[in-house]
Amino acid sequence: MDIKPILSSLRRSPTGAILVALQIALALAIVVNSLFIVVQRIEQINRDPGIDVASIFFVGFQASSERFQGEVTMREDLAVLRSLPGVQAATVVNAVPLSGGGSSTSMYTEPNEKGRRGDMNYFQVDEQGLATFGARLVEGRNFDATIVTKPARNSSESPSGILITRDVAKDLFPDGSALGKTIYTGTNQPVTILGVIDHMHGSWPGWDKVGNVALFPVITDETYARYMVRAKPGQRDAMMKLAEESLGKVDNGRVILRVRSLEYVAASSYAEDRAMALYLTVVIALLLGISALGIFGLAAFNVSTRTKQIGTRRAVGARRTDILQYFLAENWLITTVGVVLGCVLALVLGYWLSTTFELPRLKLYYLVFGVAGLWVVSLAAALRPARRASMVSPAIATRTV
Amino acid sequence: MFAYDLQLAFDSMKRHPGLSALMVLAIALGIAVCTVTFTIYHAMATNPIADKSSQLYAVTLDTWSAERPYDDDKPDLPPQLLTYRDATYLYGSKAAPRSVVMYKSGALLLPERDGVKPFNAQLRVTTHEFFPMFDVPFQYGQGWDAAADEGPQPVVVLNHETNEKVFGGENSVGRTLKLGKIEYRVIGVLQPWAPSPKFFDLNNGSFEDPEDAYIPYGWGKTLEMPVYGNTNCWKPEGGDSYQDFLNSECIWLQLWAELPTVAERDKYQAFIDNYARSQKAAGRMPRKLNNVLYDVGQWLDRNEVVQKDNRVLIGIALLFLGVCLVNVVGLLLAKFLNAAPLTGLRRALGASRRDIIRQHMTEVLVIGLSGGVLGILLAVGGLAGIRAIYGSDFTRGSYERLTEIDPVVVLVTLALSLLAGAIAGLYPSWRIGRTAPAVYLKTQ
Amino acid sequence: MFEMTQVTKAYRTDLLETHALREFSLTVGKGEFVAVTGPSGSGKTTFLNVAGLLETFDSGSYRLDGEDVSKLDDDARSRVRNHKIGFIFQSFNLIPDLNVFDNVDVPLRYRRMPAGERRERINSALDLVGLSSRMKHLPSQLSGGQQQRVAIARALAGDPALLLADEPTGNLDSLMARQVMDLLEQINGMGATIVMVTHDPELARRAHRNVQVIDGQITDYKPYEAHSASVTVLHPPAADAAYG
Repeated sequence: MDIKPILSSLRRSPTGAILVALQIALALAIVVNSLFIVVQRIEQINRDPGIDVASIFFVGFQASSERFQGEVTMREDLAVLRSLPGVQAATVVNAVPLSGGGSSTSMYTEPNEKGRRGDMNYFQVDEQGLATFGARLVEGRNFDATIVTKPARNSSESPSGILITRDVAKDLFPDGSALGKTIYTGTNQPVTILGVIDHMHGSWPGWDKVGNVALFPVITDETYARYMVRAKPGQRDAMMKLAEESLGKVDNGRVILRVRSLEYVAASSYAEDRAMALYLTVVIALLLGISALGIFGLAAFNVSTRTKQIGTRRAVGARRTDILQYFLAENWLITTVGVVLGCVLALVLGYWLSTTFELPRLKLYYLVFGVAGLWVVSLAAALRPARRASMVSPAIATRTV
Repeated sequence: MFAYDLQLAFDSMKRHPGLSALMVLAIALGIAVCTVTFTIYHAMATNPIADKSSQLYAVTLDTWSAERPYDDDKPDLPPQLLTYRDATYLYGSKAAPRSVVMYKSGALLLPERDGVKPFNAQLRVTTHEFFPMFDVPFQYGQGWDAAADEGPQPVVVLNHETNEKVFGGENSVGRTLKLGKIEYRVIGVLQPWAPSPKFFDLNNGSFEDPEDAYIPYGWGKTLEMPVYGNTNCWKPEGGDSYQDFLNSECIWLQLWAELPTVAERDKYQAFIDNYARSQKAAGRMPRKLNNVLYDVGQWLDRNEVVQKDNRVLIGIALLFLGVCLVNVVGLLLAKFLNAAPLTGLRRALGASRRDIIRQHMTEVLVIGLSGGVLGILLAVGGLAGIRAIYGSDFTRGSYERLTEIDPVVVLVTLALSLLAGAIAGLYPSWRIGRTAPAVYLKTQ
Repeated sequence: MFEMTQVTKAYRTDLLETHALREFSLTVGKGEFVAVTGPSGSGKTTFLNVAGLLETFDSGSYRLDGEDVSKLDDDARSRVRNHKIGFIFQSFNLIPDLNVFDNVDVPLRYRRMPAGERRERINSALDLVGLSSRMKHLPSQLSGGQQQRVAIARALAGDPALLLADEPTGNLDSLMARQVMDLLEQINGMGATIVMVTHDPELARRAHRNVQVIDGQITDYKPYEAHSASVTVLHPPAADAAYG
């Protein structure tokens, strides 16, 4: 393929080509970085929360009269829930995972807040808590009903044994197992690690320690309590209705406020990430679209101003494919320059984004996608004008107008 | 002359409808993306109480642990909430001309009206200054006074939506309402009021819906009402009672002071610093003296209401506009140079270089403005789309408020489209202006 | 070596059908210099386009240099144009972005000729037309006459069987026109076959033979005098029919 005439032609009137190359370069830089952010967000949203999100729902309630008897009433309600045919497990809980609301505390490997520190987002549940979450133990055992307590409101009493996730275990005991070890609260109460959960997300999806979760064998105070229910596969919606009905029939001094699925809560928590991903995807699509249209417009224009030249070439023996190749090669040349420049810009932009906004650093293989994508888009855009060029009749050469 | 230029501009656009449409579209898309992004950013960055912003101050003391800062990422900043002891003292001292102490709580609301389900009402437990300090507008009735805080008296102010829901929107002043165990008497109903961002309490999300009702501060202690906002404790203190909680170093209260002049502010700053010193002498507040007063604008910054993401989006939107402009420059260049013979003819017939440039810049501005108008229409559609996708009740009402069309943004983006057009058109107009009169009149 | 027999070409639009060439026949021998003349609208340009395989025709036959080129597809016609025909256009048609060397190079590139051979041919072609010193110049830096001579060099570089000239001096002043015509005669003297389309009877007189086209048909011819190469007798169509 003879590049020389293309280069000569470009050198004589470079402005159009420079603009196309510049446009491609900017588009590449934006597309690559946007794509990276989109994938980041999607990965964030798709992280495995380690719990059975699809089947869990929450029943909000409040004591409404003197008839409410604290733990007794709550256990009554739990019995009703656990008796429902489509329910796997149910418990009382102090907070909703992935909702942005919850409680956390720190415990230490040595008394007096010495040694290593483990931050944990704790959920107060009874013996069915683990099963309701659907989380998996990798070490130890779930606690049984005997150590589940209901401390007084405002009490700073700590449970004697807890379950923690592997993330917490790693923080506290980086070498070796955490199982059976004793850790200390801030007020020097000893707590035994009864079991280690593989992996579980807590209340705050945006927290970098979202996997630091603990399960406490505690029936929480009714001011913050709600019932967490895990339905059998596929039966969640039916059980949500049934739960509300069944509990509504029991008149024990509390009202049922709201029944909500964990799926709904989680989706809302990730709404901003989804919005960001959607927005950037739209920008990427628009960018590729406008680039394609721009390249098409300029290429078509380019061809239209050079019909005499095309006719002459055809007259002296160029075949249609020769003309097609010429224009596609010209486009490819400009695109390649744009793409190379674009890679540099993409890296610069990526670096700047990562330092100014504390975003992760752009991964290099995204450049490959961007380069491939823009090459394809550019080629597709230039194809029709190039084909139109190839169809120019050689008889144009003899026209004198 | 302008009318003639305008006519020439339209003629030129008609001659190349495809190319002209492409240019208008390119600018329109760039402007649309910018408008959507700017609208949301502007809504987030807005100061909802601008006229009083420099008189209202959030009061913060650094009562945190000596071992670690409150926020590892911002180790020099004090925590945003106060302990009960500190808030009570500062409020009680009346050192500021006016101040308010408050926190968010909740209680079961049992409506008497048929067909309204009981729900957990979000309550603001606050001293009486809340309403005048934050210019809260009343539809019916009014707030309470200091005596009501003391009592505490069982009075309540409802927000507009709650009044609609529970009392059908009528003037419910004098009616009673049961919240939790207590029957409160309605003494005021607010007009629809939802400052965005919710500057006075950013703990549960910057754009959260306002509380359902407001009750006097004294009820918090009397009923040991739960804290629905943030509660943070650094000191392991044991304790089993509500009183222990009130005496602890746990922070959970918001304190705002109204300090109309700089002198007042300095005086108050000195006051809280002195208080802190006396507490340090008594063994509290182990960290170095760091008590900060934030006016509303500073408070919004401190709490990072405008998130990183939004700033990134502004940058990307502007870059996108840049790509669109590069596109338009290329297309303009092509279009103008193609008409060079015609331009050469005009020059031969007496048009000066400046006439030519002016004529072409007019065309560019027409394209820019058309693109701007189309862009804004597209943006309106885009914002409506965002509202539709994200308008569920759980997303904290934010998307509704953030996607409202703001006339300021519209004007700014129209100006931007003209500016963009002008920038894009400068080089091509200059190039075509350089056309020698006779050069293109030759046949070859 | 050039034989068009009963060639007809019509242009059809929605409204009317114009017959640009009607049962047109022309034979040209090797080494001949033939001028095709006629008023504007007579079909000269169509003849040129058909002869140069720039356009197809509807009926009849056309043999060129021993090959039947009547019904070739587009690629084949391109090949024939490339190998067997050299064009000289009225408006030179040099590619403005390329210098003289590269302009002459264009047809050779499409022949996929190796670089050494191309360079040789270009050099000798430019030598012949007397423009070797201007190899690096752009067309805009040359006079009209010089540009046309470059075009001639381009036409010659591939050693074509037939040179087709379309009003070669139409855009030149009289001095340059004379130079170009001298060059054409010189080339013809070296054995090249030239068919030249022109409306200028003065120009036509410098050719060996004149053929006149009116309304798409050949109406007149002047037989060649004392030409040594083999001459095929012309087939004049029913001349009266044209005027009938």
